[in-house]
Amino acid sequence: MANNSTAEFQPRITLLYCRQSLAPEVKPVQGSRTGQGFSVRLVLLPCSSKVQLPHLMRLLEQGSDGLQIAACPEKACQHLVGSTRAEKRLNRGRELLEQVGMGAERLGLERGAGLTLEDLMQMAGRRADAARALGPNPMKGV
Amino acid sequence: MITAEWKPIEEMVGYLRGHKKVLVIGCATCVAECAAGGEREVETLAPLLAMAMQNDGNPVEVKSATLERQCEPEFVEAIAEAAAEADAIVSLACGIGMQLVAERFVDTPLYPGVNTTSLSLREEPGLWTSRCAACGDCVLGLTFGLCPVARCAKSLMNGPCGGTRTDGMCEINQDTPCIWRLIVERATACGRLEDLTQVRPPKNWSNSPAGGPKRMLREDLRS
Repeated sequence: MANNSTAEFQPRITLLYCRQSLAPEVKPVQGSRTGQGFSVRLVLLPCSSKVQLPHLMRLLEQGSDGLQIAACPEKACQHLVGSTRAEKRLNRGRELLEQVGMGAERLGLERGAGLTLEDLMQMAGRRADAARALGPNPMKGV
Repeated sequence: MITAEWKPIEEMVGYLRGHKKVLVIGCATCVAECAAGGEREVETLAPLLAMAMQNDGNPVEVKSATLERQCEPEFVEAIAEAAAEADAIVSLACGIGMQLVAERFVDTPLYPGVNTTSLSLREEPGLWTSRCAACGDCVLGLTFGLCPVARCAKSLMNGPCGGTRTDGMCEINQDTPCIWRLIVERATACGRLEDLTQVRPPKNWSNSPAGGPKRMLREDLRS
């Protein structure tokens, strides 16, 4: 498979980010972007707690090489426990991905406040690095 | 509610080798409440199985559906078309729902996605604990509303045993309260501790699951 060549492999990342984690002056963005050696689809959420396991698993089933969630700092969630819940779900998702041989590192969460678009791209880049180590998602093209 | 837990995905993969079209079905009642087999769990497991089978070298097409109740024939009909297209069904319902589906779709292999574990209460989010063992001879009237069959590790009818920890927890599991301690406390609170000293006839275990398959018949309800 051509896209199995690690030299050419450019991970396709989906980054789901909390609206509240952005700096006030940053206009929320959605859609696709290209980073250094990866592409990313940015998805805006009202709160990271809106992420549910079915969403994450479907995104991976549909070929995303890695998923990154950008959440607010633990004590700064506007909904108090939203980002904590998101993290718990994510940890469960990582366990399940390990069980099915996909690798837990395809899924990650980082916290931050006052984030810029550049910060989001860096988070996506870090998930791309993790996905690159695992290789392309075997579901790609299925 | 009836509670269940996912089987290891590896076990499900073992069942599905050789199949090509899999239907994952859930039930929106008990197993949804215990987060094992409702729509959310079905929609989580379906893509996971697709990924697991792909990585196993046995790719399958996985479809999914969640029934309102998998233990009622009328609701099971809703998946007739999808079941006809599948060459295997994975059910996340309790053992009752699974068997109704197996009886309805006789020529499609059915595999369990969960182990049905208990009749439990949701004590707090993410924690379910046994309350009933369906023993067929309820003793709650004698034990101040607390069940020693389901909640004592030894199902003792004359507890507490000598294994109660000093903090009142069970010797078998330090997270489980000694139910006989709680029965004594409740009897005391009711001012009826003496009731527990009464000698009672043996409990009738012949109506428990150990007594063989149950058949309950109500002529007044039959058509």
